[in-house]
Amino acid sequence: MITVSGLTKRYGDQTVVDRVSFTLEPGTVTGFLGPNGAGKTTTMRMVTGLVPPSAGEALVDGRRYADLPNPAAVMGTLLDAGAVHPGRTGRTHLRILADTIGVPARRVDEVLELVGIADAARRRIGGYSLGMRQRLGIAGALLADPPVLMFDEPANGLDPEGIRWMRELLRRHAARGGTVLLSSHLLGEVQHTVDRLVVIGAGRVVADGPIAELLAGDGVLVRTLDPVGLAAALRAAGHPVTPGADPAELRVAAATAEQVGTVAARGGHVLTGLRPADRGLEDLFFQLTAA
Amino acid sequence: MTAAVLDRAPVVSPRPATRRASLTRLTGLEIRKSLSTRSGRALTVAAAVLPASGAAMIFALGEQPPNAAILLAVLGSLVAMLLLAVGVLATAGEWTHGTVQTTFLTVPQRGRVLTTKYAGMALLGATIATVVVGSTYAVAAIGAGPGFSWQGAGLAAVATVASGAALAVTGAGIGAAVANAPAALTGTYLVLLVGMTILNGVKPNWGRNVDPLAAAFNLIGQDSSTRSVAVLAGWLVVTAVAGAVVTRRRAIS
Repeated sequence: MITVSGLTKRYGDQTVVDRVSFTLEPGTVTGFLGPNGAGKTTTMRMVTGLVPPSAGEALVDGRRYADLPNPAAVMGTLLDAGAVHPGRTGRTHLRILADTIGVPARRVDEVLELVGIADAARRRIGGYSLGMRQRLGIAGALLADPPVLMFDEPANGLDPEGIRWMRELLRRHAARGGTVLLSSHLLGEVQHTVDRLVVIGAGRVVADGPIAELLAGDGVLVRTLDPVGLAAALRAAGHPVTPGADPAELRVAAATAEQVGTVAARGGHVLTGLRPADRGLEDLFFQLTAA
Repeated sequence: MTAAVLDRAPVVSPRPATRRASLTRLTGLEIRKSLSTRSGRALTVAAAVLPASGAAMIFALGEQPPNAAILLAVLGSLVAMLLLAVGVLATAGEWTHGTVQTTFLTVPQRGRVLTTKYAGMALLGATIATVVVGSTYAVAAIGAGPGFSWQGAGLAAVATVASGAALAVTGAGIGAAVANAPAALTGTYLVLLVGMTILNGVKPNWGRNVDPLAAAFNLIGQDSSTRSVAVLAGWLVVTAVAGAVVTRRRAIS
């Protein structure tokens, strides 16, 4: 579990992270979203003690990261896949990590196989592609099979197969009771991966909750062969109607599917589609983080 | 890389250590880090091998020094610069390549990390210096002619090992304070090769009390031992403390 309480970071007069608080429960994948410069990476670095906070605290499994006797055994972290020595081989990099954490050397081969770069293990990291470095970073985070994973932009450089693989990896980790926090700019990918969202804008948390609740919209979207007629009928019944995404679609605010269906049935209007007017994650993102 | 890989049960249960890694283990890992890259290995090998090559050349050219201490002092100056670089790369190299992030994610206690880096460099410096002594004396035993004195060879050997350790730690302190390998190396060489040369020329009394390379030379050559120890110790302490202060306060972004 990760608990962040009032985490704040100031650089002179500028507050880049402003009283950020959230709690991540075991068994969940939480997406940490925000525009560039919103404070996501700074928050993650404060959780791991790489950047000292100006105020507040972050606890991992009930303790500050620096107070954990073997932190990498509790939380696997990927913040910057480029933070590796280009002169070392992938295997050497992981062997040094494994020896520091205290996991058997055989585990190195296992995680290399798991992330799919076993064939490149003996090559110098300087010759790795971005995707390979990303996978190496993920391998390092998984070495101790820690209960908590924190990844900053883990999909960078991964191809579609790799993104799907990573999504399944994180979902399985949560299904086993693990806790996952991942930040990403790939909103579509986040939407398919996470259970919860924490959205940060200008250093402050602007949304925090289950993704289904956050994306739930107000009203319904209805598609019909006679949009003009149906719109008139709905307005007559007291429902505000606005045009939808195309000429055949109408958005009916503050109404349930049952209500709209009833009006349509009374008027003999043929419906070709009726669904809740959920917001897309992109719409939510821009709405919440607009300056 | 497919989902099928995830379906396999893990072969090995990681079972990581529940306690902090010991200082001994971390020190060993720091030495291993230094030797795990081509640049680190090249510097280490060069530092260990060049003096013996230099000794062979000296004897081959007929320029035999009077005794083992002087021979070691001359060749030790070659090694001194390389040992400083080994130390610098052990600390500043981590900042330059970003591996400091991984280091502090696995061992967040920065004082602990720096202590083991300094200890590791002391051991590595001493080991390299020991190889230098052994190989140089071996060459001298073969190539030295009559008139070559082995008097003081033991003390010179001890002084070389101690200087080697001190200079490697000094380099590590410089690297930790500057946190940028190219800048640390350039600055170190400018100060020691240019700055000290000017100082020794303009104010030789000051230079004698400040120049660490001259101090190492004098210590190995068994001249002005007390002052030389004080100069080397002063550089070690000042740079190590500076490195510790900067490392503790620097954010890793």
